[in-house]
Amino acid sequence: MKQQTTLVEVENLVIKFPVRGGDRKKKFITPVDYVSLEIKKGEVLALVGESGSGKTTIGRALVRLLKPTEGNIIVDGKNVNTIKGKDLMNYRKVAQMIFQDPFGSLNPVKSIESHLKFPLKKHQGFKGLALDQKITDLLLQVGLTPVNEIRKKHPHELSGGQRQRLAIARALAVNPQFIVADEPTSMLDVSIRAGILQLMNELKRDLGLSYLYITHDLASARYFGDRIMVLYGGKVMEIADSKALIKNPINPYTKLLLSATPGSDIKVNLKDMNNEAPDLSEGRKGCPFVHRCPLATDICKETMPDLVEQKENHFVACHHAEDSIEKMIFN
Amino acid sequence: MEEKQPVLELENVSVAYDSEAGMVQAVNNVSLKVYENTIVGLIGESGSGKSTLGNTIMHLMKNNAVLTSCTIKVMGQDIYRLNKKDLRKFRWSQMSMVFQSAMNALNPVLTIEDQILDVFFSHDKNISRKEANRRAVELMDIVSIDSVHLKSYPHELSGGMRQRIVIAIAIALDPKLVIMDEPTTALDVVVQRSILDKIKEIQKVKKFAILFISHDFSLVTELASKVAIMYAGRFIEITDSHSLSQSERHHPYTQGLIKAIPHLTSEDVTIEGIPGNPPNLVELPSGCAYHPRCPHAFDLCMRERPETRLVENREIECHLYETVEK
Ligand SMILES: Nc1ncnc2c1ncn2[C@@H]1O[C@H](COP(=O)(O)OP(=O)(O)O)[C@@H](O)[C@H]1O
Ligand SMILES: Nc1ncnc2c1ncn2[C@@H]1O[C@H](COP(=O)(O)OP(=O)(O)O)[C@@H](O)[C@H]1O
Ligand SMILES: [Mg+2]
Ligand SMILES: [Mg+2]
Repeated sequence: MKQQTTLVEVENLVIKFPVRGGDRKKKFITPVDYVSLEIKKGEVLALVGESGSGKTTIGRALVRLLKPTEGNIIVDGKNVNTIKGKDLMNYRKVAQMIFQDPFGSLNPVKSIESHLKFPLKKHQGFKGLALDQKITDLLLQVGLTPVNEIRKKHPHELSGGQRQRLAIARALAVNPQFIVADEPTSMLDVSIRAGILQLMNELKRDLGLSYLYITHDLASARYFGDRIMVLYGGKVMEIADSKALIKNPINPYTKLLLSATPGSDIKVNLKDMNNEAPDLSEGRKGCPFVHRCPLATDICKETMPDLVEQKENHFVACHHAEDSIEKMIFN
Repeated sequence: MEEKQPVLELENVSVAYDSEAGMVQAVNNVSLKVYENTIVGLIGESGSGKSTLGNTIMHLMKNNAVLTSCTIKVMGQDIYRLNKKDLRKFRWSQMSMVFQSAMNALNPVLTIEDQILDVFFSHDKNISRKEANRRAVELMDIVSIDSVHLKSYPHELSGGMRQRIVIAIAIALDPKLVIMDEPTTALDVVVQRSILDKIKEIQKVKKFAILFISHDFSLVTELASKVAIMYAGRFIEITDSHSLSQSERHHPYTQGLIKAIPHLTSEDVTIEGIPGNPPNLVELPSGCAYHPRCPHAFDLCMRERPETRLVENREIECHLYETVEK
């Protein structure tokens, strides 16, 4: 089913932001701290984690809306880490991003068709009748029908779900290979979400697209993701095939996250859990989950564990992974 | 056998908003009974009328809201027959509500203590400062927040902690009915879960009834024993929550929701969207408001609004099912 060629390879990605410190000295946070990942052609990597864990920042770096502080982003064999100007323009044809709030990325005074016209002309050189036909094809492909009515409308005349479909059509207009979808359904009504997920799934199947699918909903991560990567405090805690991760989570944080999700078999008593947000400050030590982890020991405070392959294709960053496999913790 | 008296009784409640675009039919002829020591869920998409109904039960409606003839009884008391003074007493002591986004609406310039004490003092002129303080500490304990935070200001607390404070305020006077309007919606799953567990735990001890409003289907079905599903202002189905694990013999909208939600662990991972969009409440579709999106709709659905019928103990508004005497 899966092809084996790698499309996106990220090595030790670090992203640093300045923040104002209390003592007026310039301080930094690193919400993305030595993150490595790989996405194959036609594969969906779901990225899950609570808000503030660094998901959007990784997504923005991967489509190069942000410049990484450290590390490498290699897409289709090219290092796009530091590209700019024309190279960056060309990279926009390879990688596109879909945002949580489609309205924010649409132009209220432009018609639906002109949202598609520009990228089709500029990036793919379509014109005249062919351009017209291509717009029709794209609208049909994303389920925006009746096409002739929709083309002339403006974004405010579309429903939330239709706007997200338009955002997808616009991303497709450059004929990309890779899409970062950042919580694309979280602002939509429940009855509309499934349609968008189905559409993204069809596009994956028909066009062989690769996705980084960012979500805080593990159930949709399992539905759409071939693999799931769990992020906490800017660090990768666990990566595995979706089913394996949901069924046999190993990292204590993943277990916690799963137990909190409706429909999970894992039950945990969270009643007096410490819900403190993780430390993102630059140069922090140890595992970000140490304050909340029932297995934490001294070493967890000192050093961040490496991602280790605990089972086939199942990578876990935890000093006590073996313990965690054996024990039902949190009881 | 004598029937138990419900904590909350709604009979043919309709609420419309007078707006520039016309009358917005936000709640349309809904009836429901909620008994003591139960959690009833109210599920609906955004704009389906959930908050309007909650606010109406509290007798805290917006200025442009119009309530048509109906009965809303809490503990047997018709809320709309109370005078202002009695209503103020009744609210919070008999019924209370955790309002949508309330955790962001705590007064930023007052400490948590001031805001909790205010509830005690405004309902009991004779309560001593000492007694009120004691009860504030007790409340903090119930919601598992260290009482040092009584001296904190809202911005010093995390979202999850503020939401616990809001819940503490709602249960401060031991009401019999607590309406919770999307109490965990903006929170991360782990925080959300710890608050839900806390709500369940308190409810078990205090035995009040909860009307739990949410758009999150999986969450509501897990928490509540009975669920009302709202579509375009109507309860299109009222059913036991465990029935919702299967999609057969439900309202087509309920079936659509069940099929639209990916499940975490089931082997079957296909999902199916519901076509179309929720209707405009100013110009509701004729007949059954769901007919334009319904895969089973036939001509009668366009012409006539279906009455409620009982299908295996589920109250369903749909022409697909035989009308059986209630
Ligand atoms: N441009 C920025 N400048 C400073 N801090 C930022 C910026 N973007 C994000 N952050 C911070 O980085 C952290 C991670 O944010 P984000 O990637 O948006 O997380 P997520 O998408 O997982 O919720 C947060 O603490 C956020 O406040
Ligand atoms: N003050 C108001 N004036 C006019 N329309 C309103 C007002 N408040 C709510 N509405 C409309 O009433 C409908 C129901 O709203 P609401 O009860 O908030 O739904 P829910 O809580 O299910 O999201 C929506 O269409 C909303 O736009
Ligand atoms: Mg984000
Ligand atoms: Mg609401």
